[in-house]
Order: sequence, then structure tokens, then C-alpha cells
Amino acid sequence: VDQAEIRQAVKGYILEEFLPGEDPDELRDDTPLITGGILDSIATLKLVAFVEETYGIELQPHEADAEHLNTISDITGLVQSKL
Amino acid sequence: MRGFYVGRRMESVSTVPHSVTGSARASASVEVASGLALLWERAGKFLLLALQLGLAVVAIYQFEIESRAFLHLAILTFFGFAIHYVLPLPLRLPFFLALSLGGIALVLGAGTAAWLVALGLGLIGLASLPIRLPLRVGLLLLTAAVLAGLRVGWAPVPWPSAVWPILGSMFMFRLAVYLYDTQHEKTPAPWTQRLAYFFLLPNVCFPLFPVVDYKTFRRTYYDAERHHVYQVGMLWIARGIVHLVLYRFVYYYGTLPASEVASFGDLARYMLSTFLLYLRVSGQFHLIVGMLHLFGFNLPETHHFYYLASSFNDFWRRINIYWKDFMMKLFYYPAFFKLRRRGNTFALVASTLVVFAGTWLLHSYQWFWLRGSFPLTLQDGLFWSILGGLVVANSLREARHGRARALGGRRTLDVRAHAILALRTAGTFAFICVLWSLWNSESVGEWLSLWAQAARGTPELAAPSADWLPLLLLGAVAGGTLRRPAPAASGRGGPATADATFLRNAGRTLAWIVPLCVLGVPAVYTRLGATLAEVVHTLRSTRLSEGDAVQLQKGYYEDLVRVDRFNSQLWELYMKRPADWRIIHQTPAARLTGDLSYIELLPNVSTEFHGATFSTNRHGMRDRDYALAKPPGTARIAVLGSSHVAGEGVGDDETFEARLEQLLAAEGSGPRAEVLNFGIGATTPVESAVRLESKALAFEPDAVLYVAHAIDMAQTVNHLVLAVRNGLELPWEVPRETLREAGVSRDTPQVVAERLLAPRRAELTKWVYLRMAEASRARGALPVFVYLPRIAERVPQSDVDTIVGLAREAGFAVVDLQGLYDGLDHDDVRVGEWDNHPNAEGHALIARRLFEALRTRPELASLGLQPGARSASRVGEGRQPTEID
Repeated sequence: VDQAEIRQAVKGYILEEFLPGEDPDELRDDTPLITGGILDSIATLKLVAFVEETYGIELQPHEADAEHLNTISDITGLVQSKL
Repeated sequence: MRGFYVGRRMESVSTVPHSVTGSARASASVEVASGLALLWERAGKFLLLALQLGLAVVAIYQFEIESRAFLHLAILTFFGFAIHYVLPLPLRLPFFLALSLGGIALVLGAGTAAWLVALGLGLIGLASLPIRLPLRVGLLLLTAAVLAGLRVGWAPVPWPSAVWPILGSMFMFRLAVYLYDTQHEKTPAPWTQRLAYFFLLPNVCFPLFPVVDYKTFRRTYYDAERHHVYQVGMLWIARGIVHLVLYRFVYYYGTLPASEVASFGDLARYMLSTFLLYLRVSGQFHLIVGMLHLFGFNLPETHHFYYLASSFNDFWRRINIYWKDFMMKLFYYPAFFKLRRRGNTFALVASTLVVFAGTWLLHSYQWFWLRGSFPLTLQDGLFWSILGGLVVANSLREARHGRARALGGRRTLDVRAHAILALRTAGTFAFICVLWSLWNSESVGEWLSLWAQAARGTPELAAPSADWLPLLLLGAVAGGTLRRPAPAASGRGGPATADATFLRNAGRTLAWIVPLCVLGVPAVYTRLGATLAEVVHTLRSTRLSEGDAVQLQKGYYEDLVRVDRFNSQLWELYMKRPADWRIIHQTPAARLTGDLSYIELLPNVSTEFHGATFSTNRHGMRDRDYALAKPPGTARIAVLGSSHVAGEGVGDDETFEARLEQLLAAEGSGPRAEVLNFGIGATTPVESAVRLESKALAFEPDAVLYVAHAIDMAQTVNHLVLAVRNGLELPWEVPRETLREAGVSRDTPQVVAERLLAPRRAELTKWVYLRMAEASRARGALPVFVYLPRIAERVPQSDVDTIVGLAREAGFAVVDLQGLYDGLDHDDVRVGEWDNHPNAEGHALIARRLFEALRTRPELASLGLQPGARSASRVGEGRQPTEID
């Protein structure tokens, strides 16, 4: 799975699940998701479940934070590091 | 250190070429010009930041924000920021650490600071040992257990008690986060950063700021353009100051003691003001994080418009965000990941409940390190259980249906959606107010009784006006809705956008600070009309509210176990109090009698009490020795009252009673005067009446000086209720019947009984005064009522007028010492900040004023102590009290 594919899938999931009706162009790869208030704890856990199921990886509790999941780029990097 | 933000223009300054030709020279000229422009711009930004910080320090000074120690720290921050600004990046962190350690020394003194730092370094050393995590955790737990034993006094410690709360604040939670995060960090932080994390500059003045996320602390260090970071810090400092001034307004003008709730209007005011008092915490946190921004720590907000939460989850996410993040990291996510195999719903519910149970216990853990006690109360448990249950319900709903989110660019006007949001916000706010009042109540029973009393409704006791509160709330809501934080500067918006954001934030900061600074100038606010001038004048000083002043007064009488709320300024005073600051009956000089006299001084005792020698004579009086029978040709004055009369905090010869006798003796003319001290601390008017009849009158006084305070009515009620609750039978018909009619019995909670008797407290107090005056007159003594204000007290003038009026009606001659301390620095005349009793100078002042009254007041002429009096033999014969003051 290449990086662009992961990025696209993650972005699509976030738009559909948490930002329905928002302009996709507004959601950039560096848009802050956790520190920007888009991903709260419940949304973070949903996102974790999504990437775990989609890519067959397992995330650790300490990775459910802004260091690893704050932007689409961060999420993409984390997923790729576990593949 | 990694990922520090460096602006593009800064980079260009350092790339001037070494050798140039033709067009290269022209290019170099442009570069130089650009560099100079940048330097000029940076100088401008620095000056603008320094101006804001300087004005903030002025506002902190003018409004006595927090404490004098904080003012010193703010001044240190000002100069520290100026130096830090010009330092190269590698030196900034070491400088911040040095400044933080210097701040500790500045506030606590070098010796105490050395202990604090040494203990802290020991803890950090243990947490950083190159051994396996479980071993490090075990070692730290063992150390914590030893420290906990020392905290509760199992063994003496060589360091001052002031070390405990600061040490606790710096380490009780941060060590846990530090251990957790360092397990997973890819590159260890430099030691300066690790030490700076624990010894944060503002902590020495703010022990209630224990939690900072270590990873966030590292990640956000200069992660944005530095002027933006500094400017956001200034904005938050300004916001913090505004919160603290608003808090003070609520604290002085809005709070209502539970015992005075007499209608639903009162109840609403009580609950609203209790919740609004949280402004102090958010104000402090904004100040703290704002200060840290000035040194490059681009930490996130700690509170975000929490009064505008639209659901319980929203509330949890907006209030004390650092705490929420701490609980998520150490409890919520680990619990959820462990439990999710049993289903997401189960894991969600269980991990949320773990968070709230943990929050409850950790609050008590926090109070333990800060205050030395581990309070686990029913109302704490109820508060966290109810809030936890509501958050669980909200979470389940959000997990199923999601919640509205936006990217920020979209702004549409949907009237229906706004109306629903407004209703939800109002509902959440109202519910949290109610819940908050439960949390802050003395007991669940007392909280329930508030509702019962409000339902019973006694309109004549309703608060004069609470109209300002809804207005305040409306203003806050409107302000909060309209104001939005400036977008986070990532540097990607370009210099123009960054500059615009910087200037906008500077403008907003100045818009808060400048009016405050101007308003704080006496020459300005005194021109605003009497009412507004009085309000501003009041807001400019730190003192206890009426309710807390009563509590402080109670603290002279009993050990208070509930002085443990994070809003309580009283607790801060207690923190400054020497550890051996006892109540008189806890010393060898006095004992509790178990009867209506409550306390008596024991004869022939000399002990140390409140830093002075406290001695009693053979009659159990704090005085020199006197014969029981009055010597011929002597005018005797018996002085009755409580701790002021007993002279708590001053030496045996320094009480105003002793000084008055010295002044009368030094004056020389007239009869010999003896002034006898029957004062005992921790007693009330009822006990003074008992003591007058059972003891003082046997000494054949010519005058009885009863020294009263504005709290006499409250204390009269307090004593009678306490007596009944202790199972004593009141031998007096009037109070016995009054209590019975009000429905007060042995089982009535103290605060409920006080509320039931509130409408009749003047009646009860008059009965006490009448009893004293009549008993005095019956034995030929002139009853004199001395109204003595307490230092730094703020009581309704009506209370003073009422008790003075009652005394006159009872037949006392009145000496009114109102205004005694006007124009004086309270610290010059009181024992300490934590104890408002007069010191030696204060007692000397009281003695002089009483001496003048005895020498000049016509109504006291019959004592024969005035110039030209023939002898003392006629004193007490056929006197009629007068009513001149």
C-alpha cells in the first residue's frame, strides 16, 4: 500500500465520519485534527479502529495522541511504519 | 531539541555572501537592507511585547493580583523575558531553568528553595535511573510512601512546611507523565529541558497547577514563529488577569454564605456564584501558561470557554484541558485498549468510569500533597459519579450518532441550530451550577436543606439585588460567543498573515490591559462616582469575602476540616500560617469546660502562644495579679470579650487592656485605676455574659467594658446552636424558646440551624446585651459597649449599626471605634496575614483610643477618671447610662 493511497483513505474516512458536508479541499494533509478539536477521544478511537481494521495493524495506547495522529500526514506515517 | 520553527526571513539574514561581484553586490545590498528591516521589525515587536508585559505587571500591582510574591515573580518575568529574547536559541532553555530556580529562591528564600530543589533533583534522579521501569516505579512509590509519612508528621523534617505544596505541585503528577512518556520517546530530551519541565517558573506561586503533559511540553517548544508564541502568551496573561479581576468581583459581591440562602433567588445566586468562583482557577492557569509562552513553550490552552459548554462531554473537554489530557493518556486509552476485546461499548463505558473514579481519588491525592489531608467526602463522590455518568451517556450518544464538527472556514447562519445550541448551553450551564454547588457544600444534608429553605421562602431575607449576575453571565456568554482565538500560526500563512495575527493579538491584549491600568489609578476611578469608585477600590485589594472572613473567625475557635476547596483564599492564608498556630484551648493555658462557659483559662500558667508569652494569674485571667476585693480609692474596669481582649498574638504587657492600665497610671491624677482582663479567645458574646456573671462582677468593677465585633450576632447564634447540639440545656428562657420556635434541636445540622435562626439573630443578641447591661447595673457597674472593628474585615455597615443600636437599647454607653484602622497598612497592625488580630502596635492604638474615651467622654465621666474628678469613691453610684458616641 503506498503512501498516497493511505492518505486518501484516511482523508476519506475523516471527511465521511467526522466532517460530513465539509469541503474536501479544506481538509489538508497538515490540518491539525487533535489539537484543532476535530478528533476528540471518541473520534480518535474510531479512527484507530478504522486504520487497524483497514491495514491489519495494531496501535498502542501511547500512539493515540497528537504526536502520532494530529494530521493526515502523521497518521499516514504511523500506518506506513507498521506495515 | 528538534523541529524549532525558523522563519524564512531569519534564515536569509544569515546568508550574506562573503565575496560579491556586480549583480551579486547589488543582491547583497538588498539582503543587508532586508536584514536591517527585519532587525527593525523585530525590535518593534520586542518593544510592543515589552510594553504589554510591562503594563500587565502594572495591572498586577494595581489590582494586587494574587499575592505580593506573584508581583515579584511577574517583575522577574519581565526582566527575564527581555534577556531571554536576545539570547541565542541554545542558551534560552538553560536561561529559563536558571530563571525558574531563581524565582523559587526569590519567593521562598534561598534556604527553602535549596531544600525544594534538592528534593526535586532526588526524585528526578530516581525517575531517570538506568534500570527497568518497574524498578524505577517501585523505588518512586517507596519514596512517595516515606514522603507521605513525613507529610502527615510521622517524623520531623528539616525543611519548612512551605516546601510541601510546591514540591507536590511539581512532582505528584508530572513524575507519572514523565515516566510514561520517556518509555516511548525516540530521542531523550536534554537535561535542561527535563529539569525545566519540573521546575516551571510560575509553579512557586501557583501550587494548583500540577499537570503538564511532558510530550506536549517538548513538542511545542518553539514549534511556531517565536513572536507569535510570545504574543499568544501575552494575550493569555491579559485574559488571566481579567478572569482574576472578575473572580474578585464575584467573590466580593456575588457570593452568599449557605446560611443566608432564604429564597430561590438566593439559591440561584449561591449556585451561580459558586460556579463562577472557578474563574480563579482558569485565571491562574491562563497566567501560568501565558508566562511559559514568553519563554518559547507554545503550550495549548488550559481552558476554553468552559462556561459555554453545550453538553457534559463538551464541558469535560473545555474545563481544565490539561487534566483531561492527563487522564486520557494514563487511564482512558490504556483501559480502552485493554478492554476493547470485550466490545467497544463496554470498553468505552468502563474506561470513562475509570477516568472519573480516578479523578475523584486523584483530587484527594492532590489535596494530600498540598494540604496534608486526604478528604474523601460523599459530595465529592456524588459529583464525580454524576458527572461521570452524564459523560458516559453523552459518549454513547456521540459514538452512535457522532457530533457536529467544522473545519473553521465555513460560517453559516442557521437560526434554528443556533437556538438549539443556545438552549443546550444554557441547560448545561444551569445543571453544572447545581452540581457544582453540591460538590462545594459542607455536606449533602446541608445542600438539601438549601432547597428546603428556599422552598420555605422568607422574602424579607432575600438578597437586596442579584440583578447584576444575569447581566454578568449574559456578558460572558456574548463575549465568549463573539470572541474566537486567533488561528494557530504555523508560519505557512506567510509573513503578512503572521504579522497581522501578531498585531491583532497585541491589540486585543492592550484592549484588556490598558483600561485596567487606567481604571486602577485612584485619580481616575475616584472620579467615576461614589458607587463605581467603591467597587474599583474594593477590586484593587485582596481580602477575604464576608463568608470567608466568618470562616477565618471560626478558625480561631475550631479546627476547620473543610478549608480544602481550590477556590478558597482562606486555605492560602492557612498555608502561610505557622504549623503550631493553635487555638487557645489546645494550649496548657486553657481548657474546654463542657458547659455554657465553653472555655476557661487555667490559673498560674505561662506558655508560648502565637509567638508570645501568655500568662495567667491565680484567678485564671490573662493579667497581673489582683485582689478579689477592690482596694479603697480604686476605679476598677472589667474588660470582657474574646481573643482581641485576651491579646492573642501579643505579649502579656502588650494587650490593650494592660496598656490602658499603664496609660491611666502614667496620667497620675484622679483615682488609681485597675483594668482587669476577663477576655478569653475563642469565645462568643454569650460566654462573655456567662463570664461576667460568674466571675467578673465578683471583682466589684465600677465599669464593665464589653468589647464587641460586627460578628456578634452570628456568634451569638453560633454559640447557642452549638450548645444545643452538644446536648446542653439552655437555662435561659428567651433563647430556649426562640430556638424551639425556630425548630432547632440537637439533631439540626449547624448550618441549617444558623439559617433557621437568621431572622432572629438580632433578637437573640439583644437578649445577651440586655443580660450583660442589667447584670452590670445591678452590681453598680457602668456597662460600656466598645465596638472594635477587626482588621481587614468587610462587613455590611448595617450589621455594625444594628449591634450598636441593640447595645444602646440594652442600656450600654457606647464607645464606637469604627475607622480605627483607616489609613493604616494592615500589615503594620496585625499579627500576620493569616491572623487579623492586632499586634503590639495595634493594641497600643486601641489602648490610646480607649484612654481618650475614658478621659473625655461625658457619658463615662461618672467613673471619675477624667481631669478634675474628685475621687473614685463615688463611681458607680446612681449612674444612668447615656447614649452619646
